[in-house]
Amino acid sequence: MQNSTVDMIGLIKSTFGDKVQIQLGALGAAAITANNGLHRDVLKTMLAADEKTGITAITGLDLGAIIGVYYHIHTSNVFVTIKTEVTKENPKTQTIVDLHLGAAFHELEVADLLGVVFEGHPSPGHFVLSENWPEGIYPLRKDVKANEIKLVPTPASEEIQLPENKRLVKIIIGPQHPALLEPEKFAVTVDGETVTKVEPRIGYVHRGIEKAAESRGYMQDVYLMERICGICNSCHAYGFVGAVEKILKTQVPPRAEYLRVIALELNRLHSHLLTLGHACLEIGYETVFQYFWRDREPIMDLIELTSGNRVYSSLMTIGGVRRDLKDTDIPKIKTTLEELRAKLPFYRQIYENEPTLKLRMKNVGVLSKQDAINLSCVGPVARGSGYDVDVRKDEPYSAYAEMPFKEIVYTTGDTWARMNVRMDEVEESINIIEYAVDNLPKGPFRLELPRSVPAGEAIHRLEAPRGELFYYVRSNGTDMPDRVKVRTPTFANIPSFLKTAIGESIADVPANFVSLDPCFSCTDR
Amino acid sequence: MTDTKTWARVKSPWVLHFNSGACNGCDIEIVALLTPKYDVERFGVKLEPSPRHADVLLVTGCVTQQCAERLKAIYEQMPQPKFVVAIGACACSGGVFEGNYNVVGGVDKVIPVTAYIPGCPPRPEAILDGVVKLLNALNPPKPKKQPKQAKAPEVAKPEAAVAQAAQGIVEEEKQVAK
Repeated sequence: MQNSTVDMIGLIKSTFGDKVQIQLGALGAAAITANNGLHRDVLKTMLAADEKTGITAITGLDLGAIIGVYYHIHTSNVFVTIKTEVTKENPKTQTIVDLHLGAAFHELEVADLLGVVFEGHPSPGHFVLSENWPEGIYPLRKDVKANEIKLVPTPASEEIQLPENKRLVKIIIGPQHPALLEPEKFAVTVDGETVTKVEPRIGYVHRGIEKAAESRGYMQDVYLMERICGICNSCHAYGFVGAVEKILKTQVPPRAEYLRVIALELNRLHSHLLTLGHACLEIGYETVFQYFWRDREPIMDLIELTSGNRVYSSLMTIGGVRRDLKDTDIPKIKTTLEELRAKLPFYRQIYENEPTLKLRMKNVGVLSKQDAINLSCVGPVARGSGYDVDVRKDEPYSAYAEMPFKEIVYTTGDTWARMNVRMDEVEESINIIEYAVDNLPKGPFRLELPRSVPAGEAIHRLEAPRGELFYYVRSNGTDMPDRVKVRTPTFANIPSFLKTAIGESIADVPANFVSLDPCFSCTDR
Repeated sequence: MTDTKTWARVKSPWVLHFNSGACNGCDIEIVALLTPKYDVERFGVKLEPSPRHADVLLVTGCVTQQCAERLKAIYEQMPQPKFVVAIGACACSGGVFEGNYNVVGGVDKVIPVTAYIPGCPPRPEAILDGVVKLLNALNPPKPKKQPKQAKAPEVAKPEAAVAQAAQGIVEEEKQVAK
């Protein structure tokens, strides 16, 4: 492998010449139009030039007679989009799973929602939509009306294919299961106690938010996007708002950027405390779960103090934030954070020394750095395996370029490392919020912007508590967006669980799984 | 006998939580109810993993197509008498997701609902209030006043009798010590 600072766009220009069109500065560093199967060759070149090349998302969009398929690719130093298209009569294209394993789920989703056929995909089938979905109706196509789809009712218990080998037993976890807060199904095949195969079935929380966004105004969409996830809601609202602001080419006031950072970090704080506790619950250590959730409540109070709402902060808006921070509230924020910081050594000592936790978490679900790269993992899962991706550092957004914080990386790659990444990030988040409230710039906190947005498209990437969150927004010049695509961190991290669970004990599945901090309302949308 | 059963039910309702396609907002608030700040277990409310042991079904979410049949099956597995509480705007009516292609919208389109708790998400206090209102609606038997004739003084004041006995023991001990 070559060095990681290779000039990727220059390389593509010199390799392909006129065969591809490169539009600099669009959808990341550049948008590369590569039709007639050339997208595979471009991707091959990129994979060979930089070992950290991976796929962030695949966006499918209805462009009239054709369907655009956009591959959003990240490398170690640049983010590009490869554009290709298929016709509606013959929506076939070659799969890229053979080049990069991490693309498998992205392709299934585009196939389900837009009817693009990825030839050569290893496991085609419904992934997001239900099994009784009518043939030939693809909800994200423009000619499909959301309220005209009629479904055939299905029985509650779907047919289960038993494994051929009689030694093997198939255990179905979900959709309703005490260990899962959300309805998802995992069919785990076990040989004795050892897991040999995990088949996920997501889509139980698929609410069709991307389609709904196309029939609502931009302001309404901010609140709709926020409701993708009740935990990282500020991140979703900011992802959408950030993309729209890029299309509008506006710069929000510095005070608004700082207030956004405070909201995003409060979000991260409460989400990490929730997971650190939930992981203990999954291994049967309920006391620590109760402790973590007790200490999460003051953070919820801070969210309520700064935004007026306990769960859905609804703080982000196009052009800034909806509510200013009062100077009189700052001491309360600082004392609460100080109290939380004082409790951290106790929790760290529990994670370091407690034999129960060590037994259930150390060397469980080990994900190697190479696998993390190959599967395009994000967030604490990638950072626990020594793969240093953090959008806040790699491509600073909002006011993160000015914030002093460390990127937390552990190298062991097990469940314990993933949880400790979060533990250390709690402390970093406290530092960021303290710096932000101390250095809060004076001035306005909101701009008045027009309701309609000029035609254009933009992407926005940010680091949600669970990893990189990706938004693509396309506007057609009206007051409603043409297409909104969301790639959530759990969607990118599920393949890593399917990989690490195999060969381990069935009893380790819950602890391993919860270390991804799975959020299916995000995944399914 | 019925009175005793209702009394027991009201004193210790076991609840089952089912997420029918919610965003985690309401779900996390339900879990927050069980944690130290709100701690509903002090009222006897216990989160129960199996539908076969549950009295109250707490449903969150806008009911997606995939979950609708599941929800019905879980409701049917619960023993009588059973109560369903729809928590959050989505569970009450479909909320902001009403009209989306994969959404049935509202728990009452699938199973009968006893109580609605609106909010996006409702605060833990509101959920608690809703559950208490539901339990009061069951008309729990009030502690009965005993008729005046039956109120014999020696029976009515067991504390006094115990105190008298205790005093006796103490005096005996004193004598033994002497």
